[in-house]
Amino acid sequence: MKGFLNSRSFLALAGGMIAGYALYASLHWPFKTALFPRVVGIPLLALSLFELVLCMAGVEPEREGHAVDFELAKDIAPGLARRRTVAIFSWIFGFFVLILLCGFPLAVPLFVFLYLRLAGKHGWVLTLLLTLLSWFTMEGLFNRLLHLPFPDGWIFSLWG
Amino acid sequence: MLDAFIQGLFVVFEWQTFLIMLLGIFLGFWVGLLPGLGGSTTLALMLPFIYKMSPVEAFAFLLGMHSVVSTTGDITSVLFGVPGEGTTAATILDGHAMAKKGEAGRALGAALMSSLIGALVGAFALALAIPVVRPLVLSFGAPELFMLAVVGIAFISSLSGQGGRALLRGFLAGLLGLLFSLVGQDPQAGVQRFTFSQLYLWGGLDLVPVLVGLFAVPEIVDLAIRGTSIAGELPQGNLGRGAWEGVKDTFRHFWLTIRCSLIGTFIGIMPGLGGGVAQWIAYGHAVQSAQDANERSGFGKGDVRGVLGPGAANNSKEGGALIPTIAFGVPGSSAMAILLGAFFMQGLMPGPDMLDKHLTLTFSMVWTMVIANTVTVVLSFFLLNQLAKLTMVPGSILIPFILFLAFIGSYTSNNHLGDLVVFLFFGFLGYLMIRSSWPRAPLVLGFVLGRIAENNFYISTIRYGPSWLLRPVVIILIVLTLLVIVYPLLRFRKGRQAAEEEPT
Repeated sequence: MKGFLNSRSFLALAGGMIAGYALYASLHWPFKTALFPRVVGIPLLALSLFELVLCMAGVEPEREGHAVDFELAKDIAPGLARRRTVAIFSWIFGFFVLILLCGFPLAVPLFVFLYLRLAGKHGWVLTLLLTLLSWFTMEGLFNRLLHLPFPDGWIFSLWG
Repeated sequence: MLDAFIQGLFVVFEWQTFLIMLLGIFLGFWVGLLPGLGGSTTLALMLPFIYKMSPVEAFAFLLGMHSVVSTTGDITSVLFGVPGEGTTAATILDGHAMAKKGEAGRALGAALMSSLIGALVGAFALALAIPVVRPLVLSFGAPELFMLAVVGIAFISSLSGQGGRALLRGFLAGLLGLLFSLVGQDPQAGVQRFTFSQLYLWGGLDLVPVLVGLFAVPEIVDLAIRGTSIAGELPQGNLGRGAWEGVKDTFRHFWLTIRCSLIGTFIGIMPGLGGGVAQWIAYGHAVQSAQDANERSGFGKGDVRGVLGPGAANNSKEGGALIPTIAFGVPGSSAMAILLGAFFMQGLMPGPDMLDKHLTLTFSMVWTMVIANTVTVVLSFFLLNQLAKLTMVPGSILIPFILFLAFIGSYTSNNHLGDLVVFLFFGFLGYLMIRSSWPRAPLVLGFVLGRIAENNFYISTIRYGPSWLLRPVVIILIVLTLLVIVYPLLRFRKGRQAAEEEPT
């Protein structure tokens, strides 16, 4: 059971579920529309289930080979790494929520300020200087110069 | 023709044209560095400014800007692990890994030098191809483009890593990428696929938020976990010497750089393959160049060849993409489609006239690409020390800015909040993939090639029936596909046999 409760099994299961959904959805489509999703979905489902079985069987790591990709830092205590991972994902998601609530022009300096002060624990001077820099980049470059259309935050929309 | 070639150089060096080109280079330099600004978007934004320019000035400005975007995009990819441009994502895999090992200078030196060589190869391919390109492009119809996409997908076997399990995960990632590419309106029957009644998804998933999420988020998480700067506690050494080492690396692997430049040029020439493809196929080819399994295991963890391949290809493709644009008015990418607009705004008609009546202008474009890239690379080398020092800045200062650029970079691809959701989804997926030793490159390869394969498959079948399989170029590409799949397997087997035979 321990072998089943890890990110590898979760990813294999997710791959299988996505493939299963794709195949199910393709049942309602004309042949031409459904052909490619089926050609991709069938091997994806089969290979995902195979990978899931291998994960559950607990195949030794040395037989797994190396991916052509980087590896997450391994020299950090697992508990600390887990806490930092949860923290950074919370910040990322929090930034997204801030953008939805306040809109980009306000969310960006607010996020930079909060992150530097709360997560980075930097001094007031550096925090304020970098917040100002982020505001200047956001307002000056993206808003005023490039006129990117940023939607209003939900808070401001509610206020009308 | 030689007269026009030399005349093309002189017109670029006329002071007004040269200054306008420098302005374009300056803009392109920053556009490439900032993930929030795309090369195509900026090209479109700058179009209104060319009304009052002469054709030579207009193309010196636009091409000067556009041709250096990939060069400086590589810098962002190497330093922060965030693709400066959609076309520079592959550089992250080994370039950023080198920066984390304290070899930022070397990675930047290699990226810049290979970019310059790539740009020169692309520009000279443009110059040489002008008289002979017609039969090449005309011999590539939908069946050949479909097979070319299949050849690209076959590179999954090279990008997966070693061992049966790594290959299995590589294929899983590639198949997931192919499935993600099918999101949106089916081009055959107009049926919505996997759109969940969301108008945003009708046009399919955009490449930029997918790439930014997939590559930036795991790097940000890693930086946060380590709690240090990008380069950690490692000594940086002399950055200038490191960069010089990167330059020497380019010449140590000169033929690899040239081969990847040619791959980029060829993919650039083929209309409809898009800018994102060249870097990944070049990266796959660089991985294939590893002599044995041990060497191959270094890819993704800071092998300089993984920087040289995509660095060369993403620059050389620009010269290649200009060929069908100038010769036939068939743009090879979205940026080239915008550039085509510039031709019409200047009262020029792409086609035979560009190879005859306006040959000097055509050659001035070649020279603009050469000069713009040379200026940018020289300038970047001067700024290298300052740029590479960014890897020593504490992660807690960098993270909010990298996140800011990643969010805004994703948003600007469609100016839609849905882009942010896509960014978050692929960011989490990228993190899970890294945690689970699933390679990300095959997913991207599947994603960029899926639509191309599907569209061209249907066009081929409708137009030719099953007989398209017997076309000579298709047969050659089928053989090439088999070679691409079998070669790394044979090499892996040979390496294992050699290891077993070695006396212990």
